[in-house]
Amino acid sequence: MDPRRIPHAAIKPKVRQVGFVPRNAPPEPPARSQSYPAEASSPPLSDSPAGNSLSPVMIPPPRHLSDNLAAYRTPAVPVPETARRRAGHSPVVGSYDPAESLLGTSSPAPSPPSSGRLIVDGEFSEESWLLRRSNSAKFASSFPGGGFDLTAVKAVSAADLASDANVKKTTEKSKGSALELKNEAIPSSKPLKAKTTKSERRALQESQRAAKVAGRVEGNKSTAAASGRVTYAKAAKQPTQKKDVASAAPSVAASEKKGSDRAPEKDKKKDAPAPRMQFDDKSRVEKAKRRAVVNQTEARNRVELFRHLPQYEQGTQLPDLESKFFLHEPMHPAIYKVGLQYLAGDISGGNARCIAMLQAFQEAIKDYVTPTEKNLNRDLTAKISSYVSFYTECRPLSISMGNAIRFIKNRIAKLPLSLSESDAKTLLCSDIDRFINEKIIVADQVIVRHATTKIRDGDVLLTYGASCIVEMILLYAHEIGKQFRVVVIDSRPKLEGQSLLHRLIAKGLSCTYTHINAVSYIMHEVTGVFLGASSVLSNGTVYSRVGTASVAMVANAFRVPVIICCEAYKFHERVQLDSICFNELGTFWPLL
Amino acid sequence: MMELEIELKKASDSLKAWDTTSISLTAGCDLFMRYVTRTSALEYEEFNSAKSRLIERAEKFGEISQKARRIIAMLSQDFIFDGCTILVHGFSRVVLEVLKTAVQNKKVFRVFCTEGRPDRSGLRLANELAKLDVPVKILIDSAVAYTMDEVDMVLVGADGVVESGGIINLMGTYQIALVAHSMNKPVYVAAESYKFARLYPLDQKDMAPALRPIDFGVPIPSKVEVETSARDYTPPQYLTLLFTDLGVLTPSVVSDELIQLYL
Repeated sequence: MDPRRIPHAAIKPKVRQVGFVPRNAPPEPPARSQSYPAEASSPPLSDSPAGNSLSPVMIPPPRHLSDNLAAYRTPAVPVPETARRRAGHSPVVGSYDPAESLLGTSSPAPSPPSSGRLIVDGEFSEESWLLRRSNSAKFASSFPGGGFDLTAVKAVSAADLASDANVKKTTEKSKGSALELKNEAIPSSKPLKAKTTKSERRALQESQRAAKVAGRVEGNKSTAAASGRVTYAKAAKQPTQKKDVASAAPSVAASEKKGSDRAPEKDKKKDAPAPRMQFDDKSRVEKAKRRAVVNQTEARNRVELFRHLPQYEQGTQLPDLESKFFLHEPMHPAIYKVGLQYLAGDISGGNARCIAMLQAFQEAIKDYVTPTEKNLNRDLTAKISSYVSFYTECRPLSISMGNAIRFIKNRIAKLPLSLSESDAKTLLCSDIDRFINEKIIVADQVIVRHATTKIRDGDVLLTYGASCIVEMILLYAHEIGKQFRVVVIDSRPKLEGQSLLHRLIAKGLSCTYTHINAVSYIMHEVTGVFLGASSVLSNGTVYSRVGTASVAMVANAFRVPVIICCEAYKFHERVQLDSICFNELGTFWPLL
Repeated sequence: MMELEIELKKASDSLKAWDTTSISLTAGCDLFMRYVTRTSALEYEEFNSAKSRLIERAEKFGEISQKARRIIAMLSQDFIFDGCTILVHGFSRVVLEVLKTAVQNKKVFRVFCTEGRPDRSGLRLANELAKLDVPVKILIDSAVAYTMDEVDMVLVGADGVVESGGIINLMGTYQIALVAHSMNKPVYVAAESYKFARLYPLDQKDMAPALRPIDFGVPIPSKVEVETSARDYTPPQYLTLLFTDLGVLTPSVVSDELIQLYL
């Protein structure tokens, strides 16, 4: 127990910097592991040790399965892996060099008693922790589920060794190949390390696969477990290599694992190289390295449900970004600043993020100078793309930002070639100004005017979270003299509703405040629900902060009208059938 | 042209002011304005030809509106089969046109007419139908659920069709639609397209009030309140189909059509 706790205490200050780390000390590992089960609908961490029931939702990756089993059965063996992983983790996590070990040690913390389990769970929890931390403002709806899913997956994998082992081997293999490709592109010490390891691993993999098959035939579980575990470690290494090009030595293993884990997952799912791979910008590659990718195996275990979603820990990136700001080809400072603000969670909300990004682009464009022998259109587009990748690494883009970027690239492409550079820049900046004005500011005014016609005297309006447009509507309606009261629904861990509450009260509205678990209690006295949205998709689905769907469903059950307030520039032609196919995952730290 | 639009707007506003409660009037005026002025001819041609183009479009709009009833009547013939019983609420000329056309097509059917208090519009309709030799039975408004078993379909007109696909019609339509829905009887609405309004009532009270005094025949004590609203809103989930001159639409398509009409 004790070793586990220490890392947390040490990590805390650094974690706080990130902003979305809980103010209070993170609960002890055992508490955390327990909280998992408490919150998870699928078999929680506690189940893992027991090798409990397979959650029907989880599809255990065979690879992890064998690893877990190996962990179970041979406590001694995992140690080196753990150490490796820990080392790997630290640089990945970022500048937390001390945290590295902490992370390494902390990872096992939430895991159950068995040492083998320790490692597995440690990685598991580490990854989910990192995952959570990466998301500052928005937690994906899968946010809590993700972590729990991971646990469940782990448990599942533990439970079902044989079939999993086979699959795992296969996946590792593919990962290995993917790794190779990526490794070529990545310059740094890592590739060197990776290559040696990779070939070693390859050989090992082959032998292990053979062994596994044989083992399975014989029904020799321990063999499979052992091989699985080894494979797991190797696989972890391979993926990390892919992702993290130049992590520091100790972090190589872990970061490699995490990074490459993501990459192969993405590759498999999207049939395209991971975003990082597209980068030819060194700074971005470095940032990719910096990204503390959780142990790949763990990631696989955990994200079986979310394999397709980018998962990265933002907390670890901040110190890295700060330290490396002067090292690479510099980002424009305005861009960098906004990126850091995203990372830290200072700017949140579709409109705010989009406006901040556009204004940063304006600054960058104003200071832009076309390099000689280069075409302004193409070079500027490339620069914007590099900035966008930077932002994506800080925090996944919101749909509003995506649409704005598309607009900018469109404008750049449509620039008449005859324009001088300064004219082109001025034109672009004025286009951006116009976009912000027309699509956001004026649109908001129109929405506010229209929505206040739906507010009558005596209404009780409910809102969830802190949507800037809903706040504008409520304040405007109050200004024009409508008599109504507001119910603000809030939810952990961000408690965004509190800021909205303060601002409404400051203006004199009468408000009620409660958490989302009381929404069905309070809904009977509500006459209308106003919700904001990150986006409205083409099939009418509303994509918004996690919890919005619950509020809307409860309102529907009480036959209370639900009004979504969303600017048209946030609309997207995508169709989404559930919350999982596309989402942004957060980290679990703030939940604990 | 701008001046013309301003003039048109003034005229339309004064028309609307004549009866602020009429949704079809407001909607009709808006649509007319849009239809007339939404032509690229205004930008390019010289004044006289632009003017004649506008007049041409205006007359076309009038024609469409007048022909609308005939188109609707024609479209709805397939839904009236021999031996059917139709429940009708309120006096709508479109519905009358539908039934007239059915008679002309030699269909055999009977009609249940609600009384439609306080307008007593049902009685007017019954008169008209009797002239057509259609078997008519008058029901008091409360007898709708009682007779719903024998009814095959409900046919109503509309004062306005709103963005959600629901309709605003004489008080009592919502009740009848609810009863019909619970007994699985189809509810058809016959409405011209100029009645499509840019409204979205969230509940019954979310509309401009239209009050009509009710005469009970006996004096009511002054401290007793009387609900005098003349209209109610029927949500789209209780309507089966809308017969319009744009075609036979489901309520969910109405918003699409509205967008096309207004933009």
